[in-house]
Amino acid sequence: MSPPPAMPVAESMRPVRPPVDSKINRDILRVMEGTSAGYWLLLAAAMGSVGLAGGLWAWMVYQGLGVAGYTHPIFWGVFIVTFVFWIGIAHAGTLISAILYLFRAKWRNAINRSAEAMTVFAVLTAAQFLGIHVGRMWKAYFILPYPNQRGLWVNFKSPLMWDTFAVSTYATISIVFFYVGLIPDLAIARDRATGWRKLLYAALALGWQGTTLQWKSHSRSVLHLSGLATPLVLSVHSVVSWDFAMSLVPGWHATIFAPYFVAGAIFSGFAMVLTVMIPVRRIYRLEAYITDYHFENMARFMLLTSLIVGYSYVAEYFVAWYSGFEPEQTAFWMRAFGPYWISTWVMISCNCIFPQLFWFKRLRTHIPTLFVISSLINVGMWFERYVIIITGLSREYDPAVWGVYTPSWMELCILAGSFGFFSMFFLLFLKVFPVIAITELKELAIHDKNHDESVHGGWAEAYGEVDD
Amino acid sequence: MPSVLGIYDQPGPAAKVARRLKNRGYQKLEVYSPAAFHELLYAVHDKPSKVRWWTLIGGLTGVVTGYAMPIWMASDWPIMIGGKPFSSIPVYTIIGFELTILFGGLATLFGLLVVGKLPYGSFGKTDKAYSARFSAEEFGVVVECRDRDVAEVDALLRAHDAKEVTLVEG
Repeated sequence: MSPPPAMPVAESMRPVRPPVDSKINRDILRVMEGTSAGYWLLLAAAMGSVGLAGGLWAWMVYQGLGVAGYTHPIFWGVFIVTFVFWIGIAHAGTLISAILYLFRAKWRNAINRSAEAMTVFAVLTAAQFLGIHVGRMWKAYFILPYPNQRGLWVNFKSPLMWDTFAVSTYATISIVFFYVGLIPDLAIARDRATGWRKLLYAALALGWQGTTLQWKSHSRSVLHLSGLATPLVLSVHSVVSWDFAMSLVPGWHATIFAPYFVAGAIFSGFAMVLTVMIPVRRIYRLEAYITDYHFENMARFMLLTSLIVGYSYVAEYFVAWYSGFEPEQTAFWMRAFGPYWISTWVMISCNCIFPQLFWFKRLRTHIPTLFVISSLINVGMWFERYVIIITGLSREYDPAVWGVYTPSWMELCILAGSFGFFSMFFLLFLKVFPVIAITELKELAIHDKNHDESVHGGWAEAYGEVDD
Repeated sequence: MPSVLGIYDQPGPAAKVARRLKNRGYQKLEVYSPAAFHELLYAVHDKPSKVRWWTLIGGLTGVVTGYAMPIWMASDWPIMIGGKPFSSIPVYTIIGFELTILFGGLATLFGLLVVGKLPYGSFGKTDKAYSARFSAEEFGVVVECRDRDVAEVDALLRAHDAKEVTLVEG
């Protein structure tokens, strides 16, 4: 028996049609195309504020921290407040990517990429403040346990040391997580880009072709990274809170600090994601991918965490009163009615009172309300850290060393610069990387195209169309 | 040897045909997929990914390092701090915890690169059978076979609802 001839069969096969691109690819990759004057203006403003802050910082390094308003008894001022604030913002990304991934909450697909990006940029922003705060930042590496000619090692019993490990681990893992998630999407961009973008995406996509071996190791890695990042996200702000709770300062030395800070971090993180994504969705016409359902879910998260934060505020006051310990009682009395009463009441109203509006579905799905309240939460959460840190230090045990601190204009400019730093990275991200995880959306879309199979796990579930 | 490429709209048929081809002894088989689908992940390679060993070993190395490093450093130049023992296990648990995650996460990344064979191919080039349609919404099953088997593979691919079948020049 002779083998069948190969050529006639080959001739009978049709040539490959020109590739038909999918709608999801076009819609998401379109965000990266072209830049308006408004975009350049925003980018210039962001970079300008970073430049200004950088200049002031250089002056401060030259002159010493005194020019920033650091004086007795407050040596942890706006810089540490802002550090804690940005570390908090960084928590939503990992929560959405890792914890909601493990819980198979499909609605995360619309926002996980941008939230992960915000996590990375917020950690980078926060890390700047460690350098800024230490003043002599050329000695900042002293905190690392490296062999040195003095033969001394770092003190691992210090919470600041734990913080170094927690924050650097968090920065590394969130960058790894962000990048691993990006690889398949970078390949999509590579197949469609030209010029310098093609080179960039080809380099970053590592030759990804979506083969089974690649997908298999990728899915497994994402699962494991989620499993690792879940306890990490809870640990980072706990460790940050121990920077305070491990000391004996009245108002700081409390066991509730870890869960209180973690809830606050998730609260502020979601608020920042909403504040940023509401304009992004509108400008880039992403309503088909980021729907009101997603925003409503985030509003629910904020309502939940707002209640936890509110409970913590009450618990703090109760424990201070119940302790019968006068310095603790005074600290909390002064917090609400002392020289910092404005900050305290801004914090309470922005974090506990306004979010209660989210009990109403109409307000949860009303985009302007969401935008205003999430912005207010950002303000409130900055003030929360301000209140905790500044009121604690300004009135410790000995009335002879009490003092009042007002942030200097220099500190406030550097604070503004931190927003510029974060925005600058986010604006660049919008134009360089796909803003929504395309392959994860496709998983849902392709499932849905197949009507014979169950729609479970499909688009409908991710977009909340099952409930309605 | 020539390669035959079948194009599919759904992961199910692509997985089925890949499995059948494999059972028939076609070992040089590849599936291109625009997203991760469970049925496809186990069609060509049926064992779980070895990335898990990387994570495990990385994590274990991290936890050992996280305890051993502070214990060794605290005893290398013993300084009494707060009346605590030099090897203060509860305190070092934080370092152990963080390094478990750091080492575990980095090992997972390296595991992805090693097990998933990334970076793949030469820079800027893709497989002959690969095209941008597989990063859109289509699936490709490509089989390398002898000339005389082309007809059989073609028939098999079409029998599982291939949208189209083409010959990729080897």
